[in-house]
Amino acid sequence: MRRLIGEGELADLAQGAAVLGTGGGGPPYLGMLLARRAVHECGPVSLVSLDELADDACCADVAMMGAPTVLLEKVPSGEEPLRALEALERAHRRTVTHIVCGEAGGVNSMVPVVAAARRGLPMVDADGIGRAFPELQMMMPTLYGITAAPLAITDERGNTGVLRTVDNRWTERIARAITVELGCNASIASYLMTGAQARQALVPRTLTLCLELGEAIRCARAAHRDPVAAVIERLGGRRLFHGRVTDVDRRTVFGFARGHALMRGVGEWADTELRLEFQNEHLVARRDGELVASVPDLIIVLQEATAEPVTTEELRYGLRVEVVGAACDPRWRSQAGLAVAGPRAFGYDHEFVPVAAGGPHLGGASWRA
Amino acid sequence: MARLIAADDLADIARGAAVLGTGGGGDPYLGMLLAQLAIRAHGPVTLVELDEVPDSACCADAGGMGAPTVGVEKLASGDEHVRAFLALETALGRPLTHVICGEAGGSNSTLPFVVAAHLGRPLVDGDAMGRAFPELQMAIPAIYGVSACPLALADQQGNVVILTAIDNRWTERIARAVTIEMGCTAALSSYVMDGATARRSLVPGTISLCQELGRLIVTARAAHDDPVERVVERLGGRRLFGGRVTDVGRRTESGFARGHALIAGADRWRDQECRVEFQNEHLVAIRDGQLVASVPDLIIVLDTDTAEPVTTEQLRYGLRVTVVAAPCDPRWRSPAGLALVGPRYFGYAFDHVPVEDGGD
Repeated sequence: MRRLIGEGELADLAQGAAVLGTGGGGPPYLGMLLARRAVHECGPVSLVSLDELADDACCADVAMMGAPTVLLEKVPSGEEPLRALEALERAHRRTVTHIVCGEAGGVNSMVPVVAAARRGLPMVDADGIGRAFPELQMMMPTLYGITAAPLAITDERGNTGVLRTVDNRWTERIARAITVELGCNASIASYLMTGAQARQALVPRTLTLCLELGEAIRCARAAHRDPVAAVIERLGGRRLFHGRVTDVDRRTVFGFARGHALMRGVGEWADTELRLEFQNEHLVARRDGELVASVPDLIIVLQEATAEPVTTEELRYGLRVEVVGAACDPRWRSQAGLAVAGPRAFGYDHEFVPVAAGGPHLGGASWRA
Repeated sequence: MARLIAADDLADIARGAAVLGTGGGGDPYLGMLLAQLAIRAHGPVTLVELDEVPDSACCADAGGMGAPTVGVEKLASGDEHVRAFLALETALGRPLTHVICGEAGGSNSTLPFVVAAHLGRPLVDGDAMGRAFPELQMAIPAIYGVSACPLALADQQGNVVILTAIDNRWTERIARAVTIEMGCTAALSSYVMDGATARRSLVPGTISLCQELGRLIVTARAAHDDPVERVVERLGGRRLFGGRVTDVGRRTESGFARGHALIAGADRWRDQECRVEFQNEHLVAIRDGQLVASVPDLIIVLDTDTAEPVTTEQLRYGLRVTVVAAPCDPRWRSPAGLALVGPRYFGYAFDHVPVEDGGD
């Protein structure tokens, strides 16, 4: 079944993507504006499910790389993703037939819409993570041996680089160095794969899930129901904390927004404190020193009452928020998955503790483990 | 006329290149070893004069980028230079017929031999600077509007990056960032040009000049002659200072070896002090607070007894050295040339004074 992403769908899509973005993936409002202009000018984008994808389809991921803190100030024009895509096509000597969303996140779910609309290509209803992660190699396709390279990287000036690397970790290292030099954000096109590979290695139905999450929040607000509860229900997650932000320490270092936030609890969590650490995305949450959730599970910060997702660059003193934990795609919980995106991959000296048994939020029975 | 360069010729070329390298361009000994290895494995390299390069030739340079301080510890295998050259060829989509030497300098004049020998392609007797300079956009072809891009970088791991930047300054910025990430040294191929452009924009005869300089030094030593004097004569330069190194401040930062050396005078420079500042290459020489030479002219540090050129990473306390200045290619002294490599580009608040006009 095909559905279209038009101007009317973008707000829900951006909001839902920001929920799954777990604090990262760039500012959703900015992403929505970029996508809205592209769709307005070029028409809606058709969404193709993984099952409909031909085996020989040529799929590529188009995204932005860098620190969201910088993206907020150095706004892309929307032309960069297309240039990256064209450079990727030249490097592969292939024509891309389908655009893939690399990660669910504020801007990075919208940039593929921009590329798809402007090129008149369909988008795959899936993503490469099922959430957002800060580094290039932290993609489900990595677990299936699919290489990010050749990767094309470009900036707003017209500088372009093509990377052919020995592995996805090196792609991340070199692309990050270039991104920092280009001004701490850049557009990339990478992870070229066939339709058959995409069916195996992507997380199915992510864009539909984003739309559903956005819709759930919107409807709950309109009906004066608790939109946070609607998010929790849809994701099969659980509430980890409710409180007020008392401190935010945020630095833009090595091309990332890194730091932590402290929150003082209210209600059920009165007299407790939650510490949230992040590298673009939220990495671990500790309540009074006790680990309550960590990567690769989703740690989602929502504004109290409105369930507006809060990205790490938007975290600020006094904000009243609820913190929600939700299970990641089960493949991230495998040994290989944890090696790429578990707590130890981020320098933490503890094992992964699942936040919930593994809810049916991402495609349910269609998981391909 | 084209001639063959054998492994035995490399010692002279490497030594002469280190003279013109003005302290930079990488370690001459390591570059020589790689070139000799390649020539022994694949046969001699054909060196062609610029006049012999056909208009339709497709030339590109081959060499290394990064901090020479790292280059002496993280040794190149030569394979990465071949990979960079071939990656550039693939990106271009047409064969590269000739190898160019990007700069006269320690290893950057011998690494092109590695690529030329390995791939059996002729090397052009010339270079893009007539000396060595630390940054990518500092090449005479750039004055003629030749783009450094497409540019290929390769490392020892097997990573390759192809850059297409909007100008040569951006090429330098991005390539430097990539080089640092690759471990502060990388193999490089860039400045693709046809034969006509090469003839117009390269400095002719540089490899032969290197060989001649190297041979002069060796011959003078054997004859118990003054080898430093022979170098000064051949380059039309002059002695700026002689003495003993008393201090070296050297840092590897932003992908360069930066710093300075202090030299206490001897003989006619007794009780004087010379300060040489460098960024991979020697940038300025200041004697008792007075500027005596600056980029783009060549500031060459030679071992006083042997005239062995001293690279910036080899500078150390106690070394007896003679500082020699020699005029650069006149194109560097044009407004466009000085904008690229004049003292002000390197952050100095003074203009270039040709070494011939400087007081003694």
